[in-house]
Formats: sequence, structure tokens, C-alpha cells
Amino acid sequence: MASHGIARTIRTRTDEQREQDLDKIAKYRDLETQIRMRVKQGSNSDNDNGSYADPVLFQLTTKLLRLNPEYYTIWNVRRCCLTSGLLCRRSGGSSLSKASPSTSRSDTMRPSSGDCLPSSSDSTRPDRKSLRAGRDGKSGISADDGTGSHDTNTGRTQEAEATGADTQEEDDTEAIGKDTGLLQSELAFTIPLLLEFPKCYWIWNYRSWLLSEAISRLPSTIARQIWEAELALTAKMLAKDRRNFHAWSYRRHVVATLESPALNGSSMAETEFAYTTKMIGADLSNFSAWHHRSRLILRVLDEKDADDQARKAFLEEELALAREGLNVGPEDQSLWYYHQFLMSHLTEYSGRVTIAPALTVEERRAYVMKEIEEIKDLLEDYDDVKWIYQGLLDYTLALGSLGGEGKGNEAEGFKDDMQEWLAKLRKLDPMRNGRWDDVEKTLEGW
Amino acid sequence: MANLSKLPDELQLATAAHVKYIQSLDTRKDEYEYWLTEHLRLNGLYWGLTALHLLGQPDALPRAETIDFVLSCQHDNGGFGAAPGHDAHMLYTVSAVQILAMIDAFDDLEKRGKGKAAVGKFIADLQNRKTGTFAGDEWGEEDTRFLYGAFNALSLLDMVDLVDVDKAVDYIISCANFDGGYGLSPGSETHSGQIFTCLAALSIAGRMESVEVDKLGKWLSERQVAGGGLNGRPEKDEDVCYSWWVLSSLEMIGRTHWIDRDALIAFILRCQDPELGGIADRPGNMVDVWHTLFGITGLTLLGYPGLEPVNPVYCLPKSTTDRVLGSRT
Repeated sequence: MASHGIARTIRTRTDEQREQDLDKIAKYRDLETQIRMRVKQGSNSDNDNGSYADPVLFQLTTKLLRLNPEYYTIWNVRRCCLTSGLLCRRSGGSSLSKASPSTSRSDTMRPSSGDCLPSSSDSTRPDRKSLRAGRDGKSGISADDGTGSHDTNTGRTQEAEATGADTQEEDDTEAIGKDTGLLQSELAFTIPLLLEFPKCYWIWNYRSWLLSEAISRLPSTIARQIWEAELALTAKMLAKDRRNFHAWSYRRHVVATLESPALNGSSMAETEFAYTTKMIGADLSNFSAWHHRSRLILRVLDEKDADDQARKAFLEEELALAREGLNVGPEDQSLWYYHQFLMSHLTEYSGRVTIAPALTVEERRAYVMKEIEEIKDLLEDYDDVKWIYQGLLDYTLALGSLGGEGKGNEAEGFKDDMQEWLAKLRKLDPMRNGRWDDVEKTLEGW
Repeated sequence: MANLSKLPDELQLATAAHVKYIQSLDTRKDEYEYWLTEHLRLNGLYWGLTALHLLGQPDALPRAETIDFVLSCQHDNGGFGAAPGHDAHMLYTVSAVQILAMIDAFDDLEKRGKGKAAVGKFIADLQNRKTGTFAGDEWGEEDTRFLYGAFNALSLLDMVDLVDVDKAVDYIISCANFDGGYGLSPGSETHSGQIFTCLAALSIAGRMESVEVDKLGKWLSERQVAGGGLNGRPEKDEDVCYSWWVLSSLEMIGRTHWIDRDALIAFILRCQDPELGGIADRPGNMVDVWHTLFGITGLTLLGYPGLEPVNPVYCLPKSTTDRVLGSRT
């Protein structure tokens, strides 16, 4: 319904085309009807596992989702198929392999999120406790599903206790293998869809859910392998579209989970920082990569136990990196925003954690002055780029708010410059004249 | 608005064509696309109906059928799906409440639907009580879009006290970035759509004091590109929908005058299909009801003549929010 970037054409269909459309509609709706019928029939049947323990239903969702991956209700049906019998191991880790038929009747065992009742309007989905536990916990493991192998509500577990642990272990190995295979084939199923519809929220959500199922159902070493493969997928998606914010956001989620105790992880700040360096190297205008970098800096420094000297050096290197970029692309907003980010660590330091907290006010003033001088040098090559004048104005105003000795003299020295920069801004960027009017008022009181 | 008279004739708002276009949307059942987009039906009704109200044609869709359709999408748990047979989700529940508010039909929800209390409970149950944010449905996807939707609908229903507002506000603040903007979760890049959801949620909560107005205003005003349109993030192309996300945000922080109104009006008007109606993302592209609404909301925020005023927080006609919220203290 929201079309992006599709050229407008006069749509007159021939009779034949219209017939073809009607045929497609009939097939699509038939598929939809079959799914709804099977969900409904199952819920009225004697099948203990409810309507979703139905391999035909699962296959029908495959067909429909390939036609329309935006159909969120069908993704939900598919999840229910998985949690109502296709996946053998219960979330929380123990094997359900032969006991699965009793799962949906057991009050203590629910799928890790959601209740798989038919979704028609005569049903409710009352119990959200298990979901909440999953979302609240850092690891994504849903705590109250973790009734573990001591759950005596299933015949399987009672049987295992009676026949000895060996059989259980064998069954469990088999179940782990089966579930791993199933989750991986599900992940593979979504890849062509994701490549075709990289901005479809529902596909990303489904993948994310599969990954959380891997954590709650599989041993952590196996789950970790699945999550590591996911990191490679985000890299692939970002190579295709460097700014895809679904993919960036998803990557942060994948990294945070790989770092977490649930996957026996440790910090990846350093490698992620290196990833941003690589992405920026390929495209200086990739603000998404600069943003990601900005969120990693403090962690990288902390983990290195960087002392004051190292922190200062780091800040200088980053400023130089941004400036080098500006020397070749002074109209690149991404670079300016990153430069502003770094400058904010010099000028807005009270009450927040900054890159180089030990700097004195005088040192801060000297750094800001140096940047102002460097930016002024850009004017020699580029006198018609509004971002340069904007930077000069902003940083000079920030200098004024820094305090410290010599403030008055500097301010006097800049007064004429600032009026000149503002006049340039009005000329080069008349679209934002309302803003320049407000800046002028600020300068009057400066 | 002095310069508007300079716009050529073809750059006048094609109001009659837009009304017809929106009215035609539910008659396209012989088009495959109609069925492929059923998962957006209730949103689509909200987009179309809001556009019609702003165009001064609130009765262009039949009221009784509209109410019937909305109620047919409701589940026992109070939530609404996109259409009958679709699962309940925050996104459609919010649209349902907005539609019912717009056509003054909360009574019908009470008498013939599952009632306001059930809707409020469905929404409130989606709050993550630990972090304050909201999920879209029981499968757990979280996003500041859902937090805003919850605040929007609950405040229209006068049931905000069902949720932990302070926790939600803290969560929004944790999504803020150095540029004054907000991302979809803590650590995410600033995005205009998320700025709108966060600002509007803070506004409903009456907690705008944490907003860095000047920083954010600068960032937002830089979204206007040479052609007059607005983009959603640095170094991206312009798109009519940002005439809502960016502009409503500028309006909420009192900085709409930081962009060139006339240039944006001309851009939006260039995106319309003056003959068959509807507005596209960019000039020459296919129209759709989503861009049609956000083109029109943009125009009315910019003071384009002949349009009803819109509430920048709720994306509803101001007359609706005045009626529903106005009587409360």
C-alpha cells in the first residue's frame, strides 16, 4: 500500500491481463482459505496438540509467505506450527521427543512466547507471563518455561526416569540434531525473502524469534554457532544496502546477544569498531557506520583501560579522521555529524561520560580553537559550502560557553567573523533563513 | 504564504481527485494488490479517513459501514487485527481507536464491540514493565512505534493510568542520541520516524523537558533538500512521508519556521496525480493512500489554504482531539 520509488504508469489492463489477475487472486485466496480452515478444524478436533500440529498447514504457510511475506498472521501460524510439535525440545532445554502430544494441555509448559490458539476473534491469548520473562531477561531465555527436565507433567519425563538416563540422552541428542536442522532450515527459508524485501519488518521479526528459540531450546554451543552465522548475514545485508536501518539495528541486537552470558560470550566492541572502520573506508558518507562507531568508543576505551594520555590521543586521531574526510568532502553531512559528536565531548562534558574526561578547561579551549582554525583553512579551497560556516559559528558559540580565562578577548576577536559567517549562511542557504534569524538573535546577546 | 499565488495552476491541490481516489480504494477487489495489502486494511482506512477529514470531506466514507468494519476486526482480548481473520496487533488497535475517535463512535465500541476496557487492557498488557517500552503483540517485537501507539490510543480512551508512564518516558530518553534525535531502541541511529514517535509520546506524557530543542531543530531542518522535500536521515533521498514525520516534529518543538515552507509545499504538490488523485513519495511515482495522507498533513501543517488543521501529536484532525481530549483537565 505504500509504494516507494515505483514510476507512475497509466494502468489499463487488457481483458486478458484482468483475467490473469483474477486467476492469481483466486489462487491466493484459496491458499488463505485452506490455512484458515485447517487452523479452525484443528481447534475443534480431538487432537491434543491443537490445530497447529499439522504438517500440511506448515507447508501451506510456506506457499503463502512466498507470495506475501508481509502477511504477519501467517508468520504467527508458522511459529505455532513449530512450537506445537515440529520442534522436539521444550524451551528451557529438555527433550520432548515422544511426549510432545501432551504439550498444549500442560499448564506448566507453553511455547516460549504466545499461546498457539486459533487466532479467530472467538479466541483470546491470555497468558503473557512467559513472553514477559523472555523479554525481561538479558539472555532472552524465558525463565518460567524453564521447568526443566524435572517437569513431571509429561509422560515422557516420567518414562525417562523409569527407563534410565541413557535412553534420555540418546533421545536428546537426536532431538537436538532435529531441532537444529529445523531452525536452520527456517532461517534459510527467509533469506530469499529478505533479499527481495529487505525492509519488511515481519521477516526480520521472524528471524529474531527463531534465534531466540535457538537459545531457549538448544545447548549454548550450538545456539552460538547459529547466532554467529547471523552476524555474517547482517554483513551481507549491509554490503547490499549500507544504510538499511533494520539491518544495523538487527546487527546490534545480534552482537549484544553474542556478547551475553546466554551464549558464553564476551565483549565484541573492538571487532565491531574495526567493522565500522572498514565500512567507513568503503563509503565516507555512511552515517549509519559513523553512528555505530560513536556508540562503541567509550566501551573500547574502557576495555583497553586507556589512561588519560591514551584517551587524548584517541580523541585527536578521531578528530583527524573526520577532518581528513572533510578535506575531500566538505559538504558531507555524515562527516560533519561525526565531527560534531566528537566536539560535543570537548564542550558538553559536565554530568556525562566523555572520551577524555581529564582535560582541563584550558585544554578543551585549545582543542576547540585548533578545530576552528583547521575548518577556517577549508575556506581556502571551498568558499561556497554552507556546512563550513555553520561549523565555524557553532564551534565558536560553544567556545564561548566553555568558560575559562581569555573568554572575553576571544569573543571580541570573533564578533565580526561571526557576522560574516552568518551573512554567508543566509546567502548560501536561504531555505533555512528562519533559523538564521534565530541565530542572529543569539549573536546579539553574545 | 505570500508566494503561494506564484505557484502555477498545475500546482494547486487537486482536492476533488484525492477524495475520489480515496473513495475508490475499497472498490479494487479485482486487483491482486488489493489482496496482497489486506494486512494493512485497518491502517489504510485510518489513513484514508484522516485524509478525507483534513480535505473537509468527513462524510465521504459511509459512517455505519466504517464502524461495522472496524468492530469486525476486534478480538475477544480487545485487540484489533488488520482485517477479519488477522491476528490482533498494536498497530491495528491504535488505528481502530483513532478511527472510532474521529467518527465519534466510542459508544459503539462499548455497545457492540468488546468495550473500551478490553482495548485498554490489551494495550497495557503489551508494556514491558521492566523497561517501560511496548511490544507489538505477544510475539514480543519492541519498538518506540508501539510505545507511541499505546500512548496515543490510551490517551484517546482516557486510560493512560493503566501503564507505567514514568518507565516509558525513561525508555524514550534512553533512545536519545547526541544529535538530539531518537532511534528505535537504545543505541540505534536517529531516524525521523522515530523522532516523531518519541516526541509525540513525550508530548502526550507532558514530559518534553528532556528534549534538546535546538540540537534537534537543527538536525530536523537539515532534512530539507534542494528540491524542497524532506529526507528521513542524512544523505538520503527526499520522500513525501517525511512531510509528516519531520514537520510534525518541528511543529512540536516550535521550529517549523526553520525550513522553507513554500519549497516544501511545491514539492508535495508536484508529487500528486492531479487527474486520478493520490500523492506519491516523489514526483512521477505511483501514488498510495499512505503518502496521500502524509502529503496532506504536511500541507495543512504548512498552512496551505482550504484544509482542516491537524494535531501534530496524534495525526488526527484537530477538531477530533479537541472534542475527545478537550473536556478533560
